[in-house]
Amino acid sequence: MIAQLVFLAGFTVVTAVIIAFTGMVAVGARRTDGGTHVGAVLRSRLARRSYDRGEGNRWAFYAHRVSGFAVFAFLALHILDVSAYAWSPGMYDDVHELYSTVPMRVFECGLLAALAFHALNGLRLVAIDVWDVGPVGAARLLDAVAGLTAVLTLGGAVVIMWPALGG
Amino acid sequence: MEPTTTRTDTRTRTRPGRIGGRSFLIIRGTGVLLAVLALGHFAVTHLVNDVAQTDATFIARRWSSALWVVWDGLLLVTALAHVGTASVAVVRDYWTDPAGQRRMLAALRGLLLVLLVIGAVTLLFAAG
Repeated sequence: MIAQLVFLAGFTVVTAVIIAFTGMVAVGARRTDGGTHVGAVLRSRLARRSYDRGEGNRWAFYAHRVSGFAVFAFLALHILDVSAYAWSPGMYDDVHELYSTVPMRVFECGLLAALAFHALNGLRLVAIDVWDVGPVGAARLLDAVAGLTAVLTLGGAVVIMWPALGG
Repeated sequence: MEPTTTRTDTRTRTRPGRIGGRSFLIIRGTGVLLAVLALGHFAVTHLVNDVAQTDATFIARRWSSALWVVWDGLLLVTALAHVGTASVAVVRDYWTDPAGQRRMLAALRGLLLVLLVIGAVTLLFAAG
């Protein structure tokens, strides 16, 4: 019971830190790149076909940073909660019960989205360097990354939420 | 005549986000490994098995196999190395004074070291 409360406290800290980091990236973006806000100019740019969109790389950069930080913040908590197993398997089970609750399953879907985007976009960055794909190729690869992330996340979300929704 | 600069800021500051070639290779190398290790770890614990099944008996079974001990150990080390290297660029982007950067990076390295020790002890204790 106490172990569960400690985990929930840690989880609250992780969530708060992710939100704070996202805010920091957004403020930094506003200072150096003209902002993350969606204005009329940006909307008209995003409406163009992908090979006209250098803009996408900038947004991918922010998303890469935030998703990477979010995964690390969870990893820190996860290393600690699994370490309860070395202390006593019963204490681990106590904490682990929380992982199969509905709110945590929703969080796990978000974790999958962050993991999938960060991994695929990271591989895109490697591809851009190794094969020198150029700006058009980079934009097309970003479309592929976005599409694959959506498919992996939605597919994974069905599998993760299924038992909780009585499936 | 010297090339003109538009810089009006006279404070000494590290160029934002600047990291060396070795750091770059560590980030990319560990990144490619992590794409397999981290997604594989998530797939086994959330998609192949339901998360409700990954209790203490699941861990006992999982870590009785050398493959998964090596998998999780490699995941721990590469993930923390990836964070430790990549976060230098992040810290330099948001803390512009060198003293602040040093403080932040020292704190971060301390945290990563603690996590590495806790993770390694857990894995060795459970597997050994």
